[in-house]
Amino acid sequence: MTILTTILTLAPAIGGVSEPSGGLLAIKVGRAETASGAAIEHAVILVDGGKIIEIGADLPVARGIPVFERPDWVVMPGLVSCYTRLGVDGRAGQVFSPEASPTPEVQPRHPDYKEVLEAGVTTIGLYPPGTGFPGHASALRPHGATLSEMLVEEAAYLKVYFRANAQTKKQVRDAWAKVDEHDEKVKKAKEKFDKDSKAKPAEKKDEEKKDGEAKPAEKKADDKSKDFVPPEADPKVKPFLQVRDGELGMLVSIAQAADWAHWVDAIGERKLDFALRVLMTREIDLFEVKDEIGKRGVRVVMEPQISLVPGTMRQRNLAAELSASGAKVAFKPRNDTVDDHAALLRHVGELIGAGLAREVALKGVTLEPAAVLKLEKQVGSLEKGKAANMLFLNGDPFEPSTQVMAVMLDGEFVSGEVKE
Amino acid sequence: MKLAHRFRALGALALAALSFLAPPAFAQDGDKKEGDKKDEAAKDKKDEKQDEWFAVTGGDVYTGTGAVLRGATVLSKNGVIEAVGHEVEIPAEAKTLDATGQRVYPGLVAINSNGLFGMTSGDFADSVDPYNQRMLLALASGITTAGQSNTALKLKRRDIKNVVLRERFLATLSFTNSNPSGKLEWVEKFDRAARYLREYRDWEEKKREQKDLKEPSSSGVDSTAKAILEGRVMARFNATRRGDLLEVARLAQRFGFRPVIDGCVEGWTVADELGRAGAYAVVTPRDRRDKEEQLVRDGGSSIENAAILHRSGVQVCVIPSSTGVDLGGIAGRDILHLPIEAGFAVRGGLSDQAALESITIVPARLLGVSHKVGSLEKGKDCDLIVLDGDVMHYQSLVQYTVVEGKLAYDKSAELFYAHIRPRPSDQLAPEARQDKGESDEKPAEGAGETPGDKPEEAPKPEDKPEDKPEDKPEDKPEDKPEDKPEDKPEDKPKDG
Repeated sequence: MTILTTILTLAPAIGGVSEPSGGLLAIKVGRAETASGAAIEHAVILVDGGKIIEIGADLPVARGIPVFERPDWVVMPGLVSCYTRLGVDGRAGQVFSPEASPTPEVQPRHPDYKEVLEAGVTTIGLYPPGTGFPGHASALRPHGATLSEMLVEEAAYLKVYFRANAQTKKQVRDAWAKVDEHDEKVKKAKEKFDKDSKAKPAEKKDEEKKDGEAKPAEKKADDKSKDFVPPEADPKVKPFLQVRDGELGMLVSIAQAADWAHWVDAIGERKLDFALRVLMTREIDLFEVKDEIGKRGVRVVMEPQISLVPGTMRQRNLAAELSASGAKVAFKPRNDTVDDHAALLRHVGELIGAGLAREVALKGVTLEPAAVLKLEKQVGSLEKGKAANMLFLNGDPFEPSTQVMAVMLDGEFVSGEVKE
Repeated sequence: MKLAHRFRALGALALAALSFLAPPAFAQDGDKKEGDKKDEAAKDKKDEKQDEWFAVTGGDVYTGTGAVLRGATVLSKNGVIEAVGHEVEIPAEAKTLDATGQRVYPGLVAINSNGLFGMTSGDFADSVDPYNQRMLLALASGITTAGQSNTALKLKRRDIKNVVLRERFLATLSFTNSNPSGKLEWVEKFDRAARYLREYRDWEEKKREQKDLKEPSSSGVDSTAKAILEGRVMARFNATRRGDLLEVARLAQRFGFRPVIDGCVEGWTVADELGRAGAYAVVTPRDRRDKEEQLVRDGGSSIENAAILHRSGVQVCVIPSSTGVDLGGIAGRDILHLPIEAGFAVRGGLSDQAALESITIVPARLLGVSHKVGSLEKGKDCDLIVLDGDVMHYQSLVQYTVVEGKLAYDKSAELFYAHIRPRPSDQLAPEARQDKGESDEKPAEGAGETPGDKPEEAPKPEDKPEDKPEDKPEDKPEDKPEDKPEDKPEDKPKDG
């Protein structure tokens, strides 16, 4: 009853503001795979202003609210493809450019975006190409006529392409050494600032003259007189500071167990929050370090693919093994094509058949990739307050025979036969 | 002044180097060991609690120095051998490996290798792949140290720390009759370097009286030649023919250094000269080379090559003809067959002991790491292998490989090897075996096979489930006849 009253009170307030397409809508389906919690049978989802405002089993819907009812359908959160070069070319460079962005390359209205959206992908993470530190990835909606319409988050994660060799390792070490250097600089500036603010203004000036090389940031600090403004970081250092402070995610691409060992060696004692991108090759040996990866609770972005023990035909389900040892698994399509985006659920289904837990699989295509993009609060599950990105299916998501019936993006149906 | 200091230090190094190169098979490089001990002591103080103990008990320990200790224990502390022998006290927290009835050898050393550390060329510390299959296969064949790209490396599985032991210890020189100008060049370089070193020594001596005496100029002195003469680096030559071998021997004798000769196929024809030059030979006993027909004197390859060279005082190192892991082509000639290759030297008359040295301590010397690896001695790294028979016998399989006091390979746990002549179930897990201490199996078995030894032997297993480790060394000699029937055929060939 409380829900009913909230709906009743909410309805008029929001109804006035929202557009016809993004207006209040009640969705009744046979089953809702929420990804965040247990599945809900006979689910009712109330959508308004592009967001889910209520979800539950058999919720009463106030009269006057349009109802979209499909008792045979299953709804799940829209898929998140957090690591893709869809719609942009695949050329890679070797430039150290941690500050670079992939968005200037984006061509809105590229047909690929429309096609993956119709296949159920409602969020994509576009990464910058290249080895070493090619820049940060951006989160986009595969829908919209302009870049700003598409853009969800400009800086989602810092991309690191790491392979076990002296050159890349040095790049990593140097990058963090620069961070330390910057910290040192800030510390000194702060000390100086503290000293100056204690001393008399006249003396302050004298000191500055002596130093000769007073930093511009400190001058600013003097002008403002009281607030300490730390010196501006070099644009090539800034992304690393953001990573360290948890403002920016980091995704480290590796291809074998040795890469992991050398990565851990390269970052040393630093406590960094990073996710792994694992390039699933046929004979990948990453199972050798699954416990170490699991112990750190790392999120692993990987293709849904069965691998073989090197030199044998013995199969391994790396995704299942990683998740069993404590790692979180986020799936990306096997190849960066529209077809593989469309086949993502089926491919993940194959892993379920080979022993992957179903709830891990479900999170692996929704909530976990959303977390890689640092969007786990906005998208990736069917929860109150999250974006109404939904994928409507005519059966279990991981059954090969299941088809996509409709897709909703931010409360708006963008594909499917949904006319009443 | 600084230079003088450095030079003296170098002199000391050269002396140390010479002392461990000295002919009597195993050098007592005392200085280094003492140094190691000091390091250890320092380490101990730092983290006393975290000492990692590891013991291999009950095996016949072939130390590599010539001794065979039956039923002995090898105890390692933090990866370094703490004790080898009988009646070794094993700390309670030590991990133990029961090698009863098996043989314990030092880890093998391959002077050359390829691909064991992943697809990398140089920069091993930053690019070694400790998970790659070739490393596993090499460990399974007993190799624990290998040279690649003139770097001595430890096969540390699943570990990327401290893999590089030593770099650039060998300098390869081109010195053959087919390249006369190159030959001349080297003679001149050595000449110049030798002259410089003499002048420097003189200067050092005279300087005490005449303080303002000018230091001799080192301009034009080849640094490699100088390093070789000082003993900091060893000169490595590729020579197979008699003529080239003689040239190398003469050069080495003239300038007073010990040459390392790769190939050395016709070495047996000039073994005396090579012995006098104090040469090291890196040979492949299965190498075949025809004699040059127009020559009257001896030539071509000989299966006896290694044996004859060794008899003449040449230190022999054995390496298979392919230094990679090679599953194509002619099977059995790749790096995985290092001990088998040494077995062929035995076939040609080399003693078992010298053959073992040829794949352990001698290559360790050539890589400049004999103070750490190559034999089972106190103070060296605890790199050892446990086999069910003679290391050079084709039928023997490595059961365990230990690298720096850690189990790096266990045959029964490896996909590739577990099914090949599996260990008897009672040998699979030492712990499980100890639990079974009071079970009926063992006494019954012993009683059936060797009634003679029985009276004192039978009661023991029944009343010693706890103190088994200590008892083992004593048991050992009597245990031998009790060995599983499969062990016996392997024992025969090596004795004969």
